[in-house]
Amino acid sequence: MKKYQYAALPYLVWSAVFVLVPLGLVAVFALTTKDGAFTIDNIARVSNYTPVFMRSVWLAVLATAICLTVGYPLAYLMSRMKGVHQRTMVMLIMLPMWINFLLRTYAWMTLLENNGVINSLLRLAGLGPVRMINTQGAVVLGMVYNYLPFMILPLYSIMTKIDNRVIEAAQDLGANPFCVFSRVILPLSVPGISTGVTMVFVPAISTFIISRMLGGGSNMLIGDLIDAQFLGNAYNPNLGAAISMVLMVFILLVMSIFNQFDDSEDREGLLI
Amino acid sequence: MNSSAIISLRGIRVDYDGEPVLHGLDLDIMDKEFITFLGPSGCGKTTTLRIIGGFIEPLAGDIFFEGKRINGLPPYKRQVNTVFQRYALFPHLNVYENIEFGLKISKLPEKERRQRVEEALKLVNLQGYGPRNINQMSGGQQQRVAIARAIVNQPKVLLLDEPLGALDLKLRKEMQVELKRIQQSLEITFIYVTHDQEEALTMSDRVVVMKDGEILQTGTPQDIYNEPANAFVADFIGESNIIDGFMHKDFLVEFANDLFPCVDKGFAPMERVQVVIRPEDILILPAEKGKISGVVESVIFKGVHYEMMVEALGYHWMIHSTISVEPGTVIGMDVAPENIHIMQRMEEE
Repeated sequence: MKKYQYAALPYLVWSAVFVLVPLGLVAVFALTTKDGAFTIDNIARVSNYTPVFMRSVWLAVLATAICLTVGYPLAYLMSRMKGVHQRTMVMLIMLPMWINFLLRTYAWMTLLENNGVINSLLRLAGLGPVRMINTQGAVVLGMVYNYLPFMILPLYSIMTKIDNRVIEAAQDLGANPFCVFSRVILPLSVPGISTGVTMVFVPAISTFIISRMLGGGSNMLIGDLIDAQFLGNAYNPNLGAAISMVLMVFILLVMSIFNQFDDSEDREGLLI
Repeated sequence: MNSSAIISLRGIRVDYDGEPVLHGLDLDIMDKEFITFLGPSGCGKTTTLRIIGGFIEPLAGDIFFEGKRINGLPPYKRQVNTVFQRYALFPHLNVYENIEFGLKISKLPEKERRQRVEEALKLVNLQGYGPRNINQMSGGQQQRVAIARAIVNQPKVLLLDEPLGALDLKLRKEMQVELKRIQQSLEITFIYVTHDQEEALTMSDRVVVMKDGEILQTGTPQDIYNEPANAFVADFIGESNIIDGFMHKDFLVEFANDLFPCVDKGFAPMERVQVVIRPEDILILPAEKGKISGVVESVIFKGVHYEMMVEALGYHWMIHSTISVEPGTVIGMDVAPENIHIMQRMEEE
């Protein structure tokens, strides 16, 4: 394959110009003052925003957990379907992704508003208006709604690789349905879980659109905070870069812990 | 129901999408026997095995295990274990853990588990392979792991679904001997599914020949080979010359424009029959001494014997012989009475 290594050249150029250089710039901004002098004040100031960090982590974890709980059984059922049914299900999962992200989130605003569709119906039923918009619940709902396909698809693609005969072999060896799940299906779907969790957790923890549209002013997330440093009234790119860097390190840390867990599953087979 | 039968099938019917796969299958499987379901693909042999394993529910009919009806009992509650086609080993577990799987589920204490797994590894000649990963094992070794994983649970009946299908010829022959040895040392019932007639004849105590969801013949390998019930069985089990003939009276049959003494009786006078003659049972004689004379068309060396095609009276006879005759030679042929097998004509489709 050495012959074809030049084929990677366009991507190498691309990532150097648009990934490595910007990352370097973020680091430079984060470690300098407005006048360009070196400082670690920006990084130190990030600790002032601990509550925002905590809220972001909490909501992202919650959304990821809900996606996993909702998506896992569905992905399993889909993986055991045949032909046309399977393709139809995959298309239904992808369908919302064909509609613009902003539009989908606006639609939720209309549904959840105090005078929105759901509250109008509730009023008709005599259940009075319920405050839904501008709550943490609405933010989590928006995250789950938007990122659920990213949980289901990797799970589904890993699960279709689980051979039906392996499941039958487990039943044959005395495993009841619960045992088949806990000893065969779950361990074999760990790679799908770790990919799915990554693909939901990372965008969820750094989103700002969802929190701004569905969470209102009181539910600021890290994404909103960074946005405000660059485009908002708070204008302070150096602080924004510092927050970005801390967030990035945090995500890398979480992911590497997660991958460690994934690896040890594989290695377990070699230990005994 | 037979008293020594461990498994009995009665009137088993199975349909796939409205197409009948098994129509009214009856069979008794004896305790401790090595029984083989033999037939071409689509004959229903694997379906029958899956019914015994509990993976398919029959549309009609009953299945008994030691006299108890077990219809509807899920696989994990049945006292049988299966060696699956293409192994179906657990990819996330090593060799030891694969074999231990069933024992762990039945909550056996750790010490006993270890002992039983070691015994099973020894039985399949894989001592010391316990810590290996499944993908570090060759096809033949994986097959042994699959066998060990099933027998470690000490089932009364072991089901084997074409277990040697993915192995090369030499390994397959070795494993055939191994399997027979394992069956004899464990003294349990083996139910084996294959489309390979040689495999069936080598290992089995009894062979069940199936076609289109029906049992054509059940018997010892010798019975099946020497006294095939019909032309299909004769053709499927080894090579055969199948010729049309008339039964003049008991012990006398006409074919190839001549009368031959035989050992069969009980046919109507002048009944049209089919005559089966194995290629190795045809005697080669000088042209004037044989009852049938023909021209040798081709000779192929097959190792132990020569395979010759001989044209006589418009029929191409296959002969296996240790002597070879030049193509073009006119030879005489004869058959001993006990080597002539008379069968009722099969309905042509």
